[in-house]
Amino acid sequence: MAKTPTLTNKAANVGLRHRMLNPVAMLWQDGSARIGMIVFFLFAVVAIFAPYLAPYPPFESSLSEAGRLRRLEPPSIDHWLGTTTFGHDVFSQLIMGFRLAFVVGVVAALAVGFVSTLIGIISGYFGGVIDDLLMRLTDVALSIPTLPFAIVAVGLLGPSIENIILVITVLFWRNGARIIRSTVLTEREKIYVKWARTAGASHFHIIINHILPNVFRIVFLWITMSVAFAILTEASLSFLGLGDPTAVSWGQMLNTAFVSGSLRTAWWWVAPPSIALVVLISSIYLIGRGYEELNNPRLRRR
Amino acid sequence: MRAYLISRNVQSLFVVFVVTSIMFVMFRIMPSDPTAMLVDRGMPEEARQALLEKWGLTGTLWDQYLRYFGNLAVGDFGESFFYRQPVWDVLLPLIVNSLILAIPGLLLGALIGAGLGMVVGWSKRGGRIENIGIFVATIARGTPSFIVGIALLAVFSSWLGWFPAFGMGDPGDAAGSQRYFTFEFLHHLFLPLLAVIIFFLPENLLLMRSGVVESRTEDYIELVRAKGVSEPRVAWHAGRNSLLPLVTWLFPALAETVAGLIVIEIVFAWPGVGRELVLAVTRQDYPLAQAAFILMALLIVLSNLAADLTYTKLDPRVAYSRAKHG
Repeated sequence: MAKTPTLTNKAANVGLRHRMLNPVAMLWQDGSARIGMIVFFLFAVVAIFAPYLAPYPPFESSLSEAGRLRRLEPPSIDHWLGTTTFGHDVFSQLIMGFRLAFVVGVVAALAVGFVSTLIGIISGYFGGVIDDLLMRLTDVALSIPTLPFAIVAVGLLGPSIENIILVITVLFWRNGARIIRSTVLTEREKIYVKWARTAGASHFHIIINHILPNVFRIVFLWITMSVAFAILTEASLSFLGLGDPTAVSWGQMLNTAFVSGSLRTAWWWVAPPSIALVVLISSIYLIGRGYEELNNPRLRRR
Repeated sequence: MRAYLISRNVQSLFVVFVVTSIMFVMFRIMPSDPTAMLVDRGMPEEARQALLEKWGLTGTLWDQYLRYFGNLAVGDFGESFFYRQPVWDVLLPLIVNSLILAIPGLLLGALIGAGLGMVVGWSKRGGRIENIGIFVATIARGTPSFIVGIALLAVFSSWLGWFPAFGMGDPGDAAGSQRYFTFEFLHHLFLPLLAVIIFFLPENLLLMRSGVVESRTEDYIELVRAKGVSEPRVAWHAGRNSLLPLVTWLFPALAETVAGLIVIEIVFAWPGVGRELVLAVTRQDYPLAQAAFILMALLIVLSNLAADLTYTKLDPRVAYSRAKHG
C-alpha cells in the first residue's frame, strides 16, 4: 500500500516531462514555427553571452586620438555599427539590448503565465461564486486600455525594469486567465476526473495530476505569446521615453535617436535595433501561428 | 432579452466606475507630491492654500474622491496644471484629431486586409501565394507600429522628400475647423494614416484567411460551385460568411486603435489624445493625464458594449446562453 503512491508519482512525473517536451516536438512539424523556434533560440544565445560579445561598455563615450568625441560616425573597423550622438558604440548597445529584451520578456511572461494559470484553474475548476467573482474581476481588467495604463503606471511608479515587468504582469494575465479557464471547464467534465473525485482524491491532487498536465499546452502557448507582448510593451514604453534609464534596450536606442533628431541621418543607429525587434517579435508570432494551424482541425490541409 | 440588456449596461457602468476609481487612487498614492510642480516653494501659505483649493487638492482623500466624482458626473474633469485651462477645452480638439486618424485608418486597414485575406485564403493550399502571404502578414504583425512609422519617415520623408515629417499643417495655415479641409492637411495626414492602415492590415488578413479556409470545405460551397458559378463568385460566397466575425471585431478594434495610436502620434508629432497623454505624464499634469486615460477606458467599455449588443442582435442565442451562465 505504501509503495503504490510513489509508483504513480513516478509515472506522473515521466508523463509530465513528456508533456513538457511535447509542445516543442509538436511545433517542430510546422515549417513557420520551426523557423520561429530557431531564430528565438539564436537570439537567446546572443542574450546569454551578451557581456562577452559586446566590445565596449554600452554607455562609454568613444574619443578620437585628438581627444574629441566620436559623434555620429558611420560604421568603421573600430565601431562596426558606428557611434551615437553621444559617441556610444551602437554595436555594443545592440548586443546588450538582446539581454534586456530576454530578461523582460522571459521574466514577465513567466509571471503572466503563473498568474493566469492560477486564476484560470481556480475559476474553472471550482466554478460557482468563486468563478463569478474572478470573471467579473477579469471583465474589469479587460476594460483597461493596455498601453495608456502602462504609460500612466510606469510614469507614476518610476521607470525601472522591475516596475515595467510588474505593469506587464498586471496587464496581460487577464486574457490568459480567460483562455485557460475555458480549457479547464472542459477538462473538469472528463469522466476520469469524476472517478478520481469519487475515489477520494483531494482537489489539490486532481488539479496537479489531472487538470494541469492537460492544460499545459495552452499555458505553454500563452507564455510564449506573452514573451512577445512583454517585449513589445517594453519597447513601446522605452521608445516613449519611459524605459529604465540605467539599462540599454532597443526601444530606448530608438528613443535617443528620435529625440536627438538623428532619425534622418544615422541609419546605422536606427536600423539595427528596429530589425532586431521585428525579427524577435515575428519569430514568436510564427510559433503562435504554427500552433494555431496545427490545432485547428479545420485549417489543416487535407 | 431585456433583462440581459439591462444587466449588460449596468455591468458596463460598474466597470467604468471601478477603472476610474483605480486611476484616482493611483494618481494620489504615488510617491511624488502632486503639488510640487504646481506650487512654488517660496509661495506664501495663503496663496498655496488658495491654489490647492482651486485644483481640488484639499481635504482628506475621501473628500477629494467624492468631489472628483461629483464633478465627473456633470462632465467636469478639472483644470490642466500645465495649460491652466479646463481639461475639456484642451482635449476636445485633440479627440477630433485622433479620430480623423483612427477611423479611416481602421476602416481602410480592415477593408484592404479582408480583401487580401480573401485572395490568400482562396489560393492553392500550400502554394506560393498562401505561404508568402501568411509569412509577410505575420512579420508585419510582429512589427511595432513606431518602427513602421520610422521606416515610412525614412523612405517617404527623408529619402524621397514627398511628405512632411511631422505635425498637422504649417503654422500659417487656416485655423479652426477650416484647417481640416486644406491640401496641406491631407498632405500631412498621409503618412500617419498609412502607418495606422499597416497596423490593422495583417490582423484582418489573417482573420479573413482563416475564415475563408474554414468555409472552403463546407457543403454549400460545393453546391454553389455545382451550379456552375464562376470561381471568383464562389470565393465571394465563402468570404461573405467570414465577414461577420470581422464586423464584430471592428468595435473593440476602434478602442484599441486610439490606444495603439499613441506611438504613431508620437512618431509623426500628430496632436492627438495619445500624444497628449504621454506629454501630460512626463509633465506631471495629472488632471489632464487622468482625463485622457478615463476617456480611453470609456471608449473601450462602450465599444465592447456595442460589439456585444450587435452580436446579440445578429445571433440571439448569445443572450440566452449568457443570461444562463452570467
